[in-house]
Amino acid sequence: MEIVMQAVISGLLMGAVYGLTALGLTLIFGIMKVINWAHGSFIMIGMFAGYWLWALTGIDPYLGLIIVVPFCFVLGYFVQDILIKPVFKSEVGVREPIGVLMLTAGLWIFLDNFALLLFGAFYRTARTSYTGLTYRIGEILVSAPRLYAFLITIGSAYILYVFLKKTKLGRAIRATGQDRDTASLMGIDIYHIYNISFGIAIAITGMVGALLVPFYYVHPSAGFVFDIRAFIIVVLGGLGSIPGAILGGLLIGLIESVGAQYMTATWTQGIIFGVFLAVLYIRPSGMFGFKQEW
Amino acid sequence: MKTRRNSDTDIRDFRSPKFYFPLVLVVVLFCIPLVLKDPSWLQFLILIMFYAYLTCSWNIIGGFAGQLSLGHAAYIGIGAYTSTALYLHFGLSPWLGMFVGGVFAALVAVTVGYPCFKLRGAYFALASIAFAEVIRVVTENTYHIGSIEIRGPRGLLLPPLGHSPLAFQFLNKAYYYYIILIMMLIALLVTYRISKTKLGYSLSAIRNSLEAAQSLGVNVARCRVTAAATSAFLTALGGTFYAQLILYIFPEGVMGIIFSCEIAFIAIIGGRGTVFGPILGALIYIPASELTRMYLGGGRLLGIHMVILGIIVMMVMLFQPAGVIKPLRRAYLSFSKRLEKQSQKA
Repeated sequence: MEIVMQAVISGLLMGAVYGLTALGLTLIFGIMKVINWAHGSFIMIGMFAGYWLWALTGIDPYLGLIIVVPFCFVLGYFVQDILIKPVFKSEVGVREPIGVLMLTAGLWIFLDNFALLLFGAFYRTARTSYTGLTYRIGEILVSAPRLYAFLITIGSAYILYVFLKKTKLGRAIRATGQDRDTASLMGIDIYHIYNISFGIAIAITGMVGALLVPFYYVHPSAGFVFDIRAFIIVVLGGLGSIPGAILGGLLIGLIESVGAQYMTATWTQGIIFGVFLAVLYIRPSGMFGFKQEW
Repeated sequence: MKTRRNSDTDIRDFRSPKFYFPLVLVVVLFCIPLVLKDPSWLQFLILIMFYAYLTCSWNIIGGFAGQLSLGHAAYIGIGAYTSTALYLHFGLSPWLGMFVGGVFAALVAVTVGYPCFKLRGAYFALASIAFAEVIRVVTENTYHIGSIEIRGPRGLLLPPLGHSPLAFQFLNKAYYYYIILIMMLIALLVTYRISKTKLGYSLSAIRNSLEAAQSLGVNVARCRVTAAATSAFLTALGGTFYAQLILYIFPEGVMGIIFSCEIAFIAIIGGRGTVFGPILGALIYIPASELTRMYLGGGRLLGIHMVILGIIVMMVMLFQPAGVIKPLRRAYLSFSKRLEKQSQKA
């Protein structure tokens, strides 16, 4: 029983990180209706940014968030403005836009391999003072950096939620997501909103990368695992839904962690994909998504 | 409508460049191995045609039907595994096993893939990835089916037999060259036929507007199933060819997501939904990736060929989203028209 509880706890902790990854994707997906295929690459960038800050200047990865997050926001803002916007504009009237999907797929290949070119295929780990630290609650051990990542994840998801619900900019973002033509008629500069939303999404994604640094390996293709997970979670939780992304992330984390107690880890991968396909067949709008035409 | 009929009669006119250009090209392709003997260069050409073949097959569902599949490696894997396992266990010649694999892949495409067809755009792409990954994971965790060995992640090894045509193994690369050349031409012919028949027109109608096509009486489900089955069948044949060329298959190698993405990239670079786009894409992508891998890939510049690929894909999406074939076709048409005028004058 303790083993199961242990698996549940570590599944939830990791699941929150998956959820935060999916949160960035769901924001882009929900507002721009495009898939950012290079999402995992931005996690990798966040990872390397956090790692090099720590390795070169000794700034603690959590303190480094103050630098990594704005950096990723600016990066996302300009990637959207320079690369994605032209393709997006040329496809406004197209029924099934896949141009951005292919463009970001190219960006994914480019970024991952450019990092490989720069940093080599080494597995790096940041050995901070709390890397191996664990808290003991009863019989259950909780890894400290994972717990911190969990808490920061939940906190930032809440902040984002409030931002989107209460602020003027947040309302403009949601309005653009609901109906871009009407939003445009109401005087919202939708391309500016797209740039900002993409920037916010990439900032979140970079934050995930930096949060992973203390307890995960840093590698040019480390983001890919999270990439596929994030797609699944977004569909599972429902397009554009923030609670859906977090809950979907927790669910995937649970399946992975508890499943690994009973079968080999490769099978849990298959089960996750199976669940994903089942959701697509039965309820493509996901747990919290609103009904749309897919 | 009238112009189309005109261009059709053009093709049947033997003096028209539109008739003899492709013919000259095919003859040249058949003659290459007579001149070029170096096996590594032949291998290079084989690879180009292999990818062109796969992309042609992909194009039926990914281009003409407009459903961006990122899971076609699953069919390559099914084809490769079926023919190889049948050969190793029953001694069935891969020439026959290839068609068993093709039919099996088509069945999988129709039964398992059927529910995916209602999904659109990005959702179909995601579902196709998940579909391919499930098949890969299942293969990786299967060691036996009954008494047939699958050997999980370790993959299957074909014993090298030297020159043995019955077992689809040759020492001279020229044989593989001719086999893949003929396969590629058949795939081209199939896509050309599809683009000129009712099925092709129905598919492009569905691609443009599902509801409009439906309201005009196009049987959407049947068209898509036919396209998916044809595509899967042809792709699986390519899988067998790959297994016989490399003589070793393992799940990550033949069903990996990279393989699926490469096929889609080639189609996008060349021109999705056009007959010759896949050939053009393979002609750009394979040399770019193989040559940079050969000359720059080793040592310090790790992954440089993929960096270049990423840049090519992004540039194509930014500046020529319809594929490289679009400006080239215009140039080709004006060139052949000028030639025609000259021959008429003479």
